[in-house]
Amino acid sequence: MKKAQEHTAPKKYGMVIDLDKCTGCGACMAACMAENNVPFREDETDKNLSITWLRVYKLTNGKKFPNADVCYLPRPCMHCEGHHGHSPCVSVCPATATDYSYDTGIVSQIYTRCFGCRYCMAACPYHVRYFNWWDPVWPEGMEKMLSPNVSVRTRGVVEKCSFCFHRYQIAMEKVRYEGRAELAEDEYQTACTQACPANAITFGDLNNHDHAVYKLKTHPDAFRLLERLGTNPKVYYISSREWVRRQGDNYLENEGKVVAKAH
Amino acid sequence: MSTVKAKDDGAGGFIILFFILGFVASMILGWIVFPKLLYSQKEQPFNFDHAIHMDMVGACESCHFFRDDGTFSGIPKLAQCIDCHQDVQGFTKDEEIFVNEYVRNYREVPWLIYSEQPDCVYFSHSAHVLSGGMECKTCHGPIAETETSRPYEYNRITGYSRDIWGKSMLGLKKNPWDRMKMDDCAECHRENGVKQNSAQTHKGACFVCHK
Amino acid sequence: MNIARRSFLAFLIGGAAGTALSPLPWKLTDDLSIWTQTWPWTPVPPDGEYSYVNSVCTLCPGGCGITVRKVDNRAVKIEGMAGHPVNDGGICILGASGLQLLYGPRRVKAPMRRVGERGEGKWETISWDEAIAAAAEKLEGIRSAGNPQGVACMVGDRYGTVPSLFERFMTAYGSPNFMSDAAIEDSYRITLNLMHGKNAIPGFDAGNADFVVSFGSGVIEGWGSPVRMFLAHGKWKDENKTLVQVEPRLSNTAAKADKWVAVQPGTEAVLALSMAYVIIKENLYDKSFVAENAAAFEDWRDDEGKTYPGFKTFVLNGFSPADASKVTGVDPSLIVSLARSFAGAEKPLALCGRGKGNTPGSLHEFMAVHALNGLVGAINRPGGVWAIDVPDYVTWPKPGLDEAARAGLEKPRVDGADGGAYPYTESIISGFADGVNSGSAGYGVEALLVSGANPLYTLRDAQAVRKAFDSIGFVVSFSSYMDETAAQADLILPNHTYLERRQDVPAPFGLNMPVIGMSRPVVPPQFDTRQVGDSLMGIARKMGGSVGDAFGWESYEACLKETMGAAWETLEKDGILVKADYAPEGWGEAFNTPSKKFQFFTGAYRHGENKDLMSQMKIEGEAADFPLILIPYDSMRLASGPVADTPFMAKTIEEDVLIHDDVYVQVNPATAASLNLREGKVAELTTPVGKARVRVHLSEGIGEGVIALPTGLGHWANSKYIAGKGVNVNRLMSPVADPVSGLDAAWGIRAKLARA
Repeated sequence: MKKAQEHTAPKKYGMVIDLDKCTGCGACMAACMAENNVPFREDETDKNLSITWLRVYKLTNGKKFPNADVCYLPRPCMHCEGHHGHSPCVSVCPATATDYSYDTGIVSQIYTRCFGCRYCMAACPYHVRYFNWWDPVWPEGMEKMLSPNVSVRTRGVVEKCSFCFHRYQIAMEKVRYEGRAELAEDEYQTACTQACPANAITFGDLNNHDHAVYKLKTHPDAFRLLERLGTNPKVYYISSREWVRRQGDNYLENEGKVVAKAH
Repeated sequence: MSTVKAKDDGAGGFIILFFILGFVASMILGWIVFPKLLYSQKEQPFNFDHAIHMDMVGACESCHFFRDDGTFSGIPKLAQCIDCHQDVQGFTKDEEIFVNEYVRNYREVPWLIYSEQPDCVYFSHSAHVLSGGMECKTCHGPIAETETSRPYEYNRITGYSRDIWGKSMLGLKKNPWDRMKMDDCAECHRENGVKQNSAQTHKGACFVCHK
Repeated sequence: MNIARRSFLAFLIGGAAGTALSPLPWKLTDDLSIWTQTWPWTPVPPDGEYSYVNSVCTLCPGGCGITVRKVDNRAVKIEGMAGHPVNDGGICILGASGLQLLYGPRRVKAPMRRVGERGEGKWETISWDEAIAAAAEKLEGIRSAGNPQGVACMVGDRYGTVPSLFERFMTAYGSPNFMSDAAIEDSYRITLNLMHGKNAIPGFDAGNADFVVSFGSGVIEGWGSPVRMFLAHGKWKDENKTLVQVEPRLSNTAAKADKWVAVQPGTEAVLALSMAYVIIKENLYDKSFVAENAAAFEDWRDDEGKTYPGFKTFVLNGFSPADASKVTGVDPSLIVSLARSFAGAEKPLALCGRGKGNTPGSLHEFMAVHALNGLVGAINRPGGVWAIDVPDYVTWPKPGLDEAARAGLEKPRVDGADGGAYPYTESIISGFADGVNSGSAGYGVEALLVSGANPLYTLRDAQAVRKAFDSIGFVVSFSSYMDETAAQADLILPNHTYLERRQDVPAPFGLNMPVIGMSRPVVPPQFDTRQVGDSLMGIARKMGGSVGDAFGWESYEACLKETMGAAWETLEKDGILVKADYAPEGWGEAFNTPSKKFQFFTGAYRHGENKDLMSQMKIEGEAADFPLILIPYDSMRLASGPVADTPFMAKTIEEDVLIHDDVYVQVNPATAASLNLREGKVAELTTPVGKARVRVHLSEGIGEGVIALPTGLGHWANSKYIAGKGVNVNRLMSPVADPVSGLDAAWGIRAKLARA
């Protein structure tokens, strides 16, 4: 094999979600489920058991009518970098089923490798990981809509958002076919980013000056979830509402302003 | 006391004999019977002569090509074959089967793919052939020269093709196409300088070959 | 014995040693572990060639362009079509999960005839010839018995070739009872008819507006063309434009708005008119528009010399902020500042129609809100409301009528939409059940054809609708899915789904340019279904005579092709026909009222003249018996139209909406405390028309005395992923006929809540 292949600068794929624009409509969730062969069951009201790689949380400001306020917060996997790729989940996985790639900054999950100990679920502070308590069952005929690009999971393994890594793989096929070295920004976008009817989600390489996320992450209203935990997540949020930014890191009532974050 | 001893003495030979018996029986079971039980064979729907096609079309890419989106077409679909095989050309019995049973009925041929990887594997032909500059035969062996389709062997428990899982029960590997398990991929990647970017293992990252 | 035992042990040890040195244990362990990773019953989706097919989504009237990703001949994903004038790549949750309808478990797979009791779910599959013959024979029998008017028809959309074919069928057959699903579009159409003198649908140049006041419209909850409104909302955020939401409940739109005005429910029109008061009083209105292009602003005189008060007099005499505040609960100073900001904005825009707009609403309210747009001149200009002519490409010659048809068409309508009472309304689907049950038309309804609608679920006072259905001897459903109405039908002639058929998609609601879309088969029909146009033509032809003659086309596709004429090629190629350079008519030419001007006050207003307009709009129930007010609320995650939630959508229903099979009713904590109810408690919700088991969810997003239930739950047919969950709010509400349009104007119903 030639050694010439793909000697490009390492990427750090990340996301910036504008909570002012997010309407809580849930299109991202459905797009994600359709894209990633996410299973469904008859009763999905117990959210601890409901597999939603991208879950849109509803935050409330706790004030009384009519000063109450609501904000929706889409939560994909944060693809934490931690310190040098030692994200909380990767550090604890005894099966090497989850891994951090220095090349893309994406935290992978290999279902066939996972034996279901769920350490990673306990370690993840964002609850992005879900355990398959049951084998997925598609009603007769509905297996036709399954995508060949994402492995179908079985009972007993953990799954989570992959930043639609298979889309990167598919996009790279074309890049190689056309003899290019690099992927253009719009060639690799996650399903949720593409679907969002409010254009609230922006996705790209946080290392790349030319990508929209590079600038957006330095927005004065940008913050990350549980910033002070040191997980170094790659999903940034923007909200003009102070109470939302404070809830993003569980600030106490009398605590000072939201601390500056690492860009 | 002596009787006991005598018994012991007398039994020694038997014990060794039985040990050997057990040993040999289990070796036969493990090395000969077990592989036969473990692997099953299926015949391809009909025989395919690669050599004869190569003579006519000249290159692998004529039938196994990259699509415009960079994905690899793999085994040709009926639509491609129809160009030449609309009617029976009359070279072989197999061609007759093909035309009569499949072409006429617009039925795709359910070829069994020797080199098919399990669902959890993502394999990019473009990365290996276009970027890596590898030749087909480096991994697929001299299949282009074959005149007959050998039986497809698969593992009864896992359903995997034996070409993936290893032809040798000893785990020996002479050619790349003798086995194509994860370690084989990893070894080649390591030797050829594919980025070793895993934070956990400092080897190749999982999301290079998995999906 | 000893020897045998020890030899046996030796044999075993030898066997163990041999086994360990053979591949058996190692290989077996490996293979078994692999087996457990990929169970043979776990599907492995076959890979293949990827392709993309563009089409138009017709799951709601939004008309979004979609791009369907295919792997060989399987459709695997629906995405928004990039660059499409409606949605530009965005997609809603229903659209994104549309493949679950195509490949879903509730498809009607072939024509079916009921064999058990109605609704029992016992069917026999029949051939298309049998099905067509069964329908034709029954309809022919009713007709020859002299009761063609006794056949009614309900369709979903109003425009396009398929609804027009049904309308044509009903005309040729001889029944006046053609109805279409009603929504705010109907109220807007009447509003534009009265105030603009145009047969038009509204187009909102929302993206270019800079100060939007929405009177309860779910701007980001499915109102209008949903994705288009999401995009507009995003643009407002980017450009720091203002959205004010007037709504009694903290909806998503209210939460995202720059200002939420928590108005008393049902008093939105009062607030609008009070804003008009401030704008007129303070001389903030667009003088040039009002002086030159508007009529009935000042007092006016009719041809006979009688003087009528103008809009100005009407408003100034009754809608001062102080008075309005008492009714609306909105602070007078807020009304004043809102009015000033609205009138002071460069491109203000007022929107109307509650939630997704599934209920037509009060015409008084629509006209009051539209008068606000008139006051500031936000008519047919950038950022305003544009009157777009209704789609008029269906220009077939009228069908020939025989004696029976002429006699039938003379008969009164069952829904009461004709004659003097509601002169501006074509059909009143919400009045149908009452008409059937009371026999007010003077004849019985013997048969009903339903296409693209699910009246048993979507119409209010579901019990009355059910009663009407039970009295109708022959119900034919053309549904692709086993929905509530199909489940109660006698005969189902299943349509292709929207991903399997070719059909025109006229004018998305709210788009400010004339657009025709064309949905096309993305995949071949998965089952033995038929395009509904062909089914209908088949029935007509089987009946023969003048009914058959009315359908001279060879097939539906031939009809579509002929109807589209020159546009066909473009539609086939692009899936959409856009008048990109479209500009609205200027003020001078825009109005076709008798005065040729924008009509602030019209004859229609006189219908309401004697009514107390300075009050909450009437809903059913008395406060003494029902101390609370129940309002329905819409959510993007709950499909509340004819199509129910997909399994993916059902997954996204929030934890404060549904728990297992129980729906949460939103209750203000103070209200709950007064009723001795706590979070999560099971309660019985009673309204004048029904009762239901609910659970209490305490919410500060709703005022005292008001409770709210989501729409889109409580399906009883449909897939197990949505059926049997929660309560259909339409079962707890009853329609209230608007005095002018006759359409359903109920924004809520009186209710009580008690511990169960």
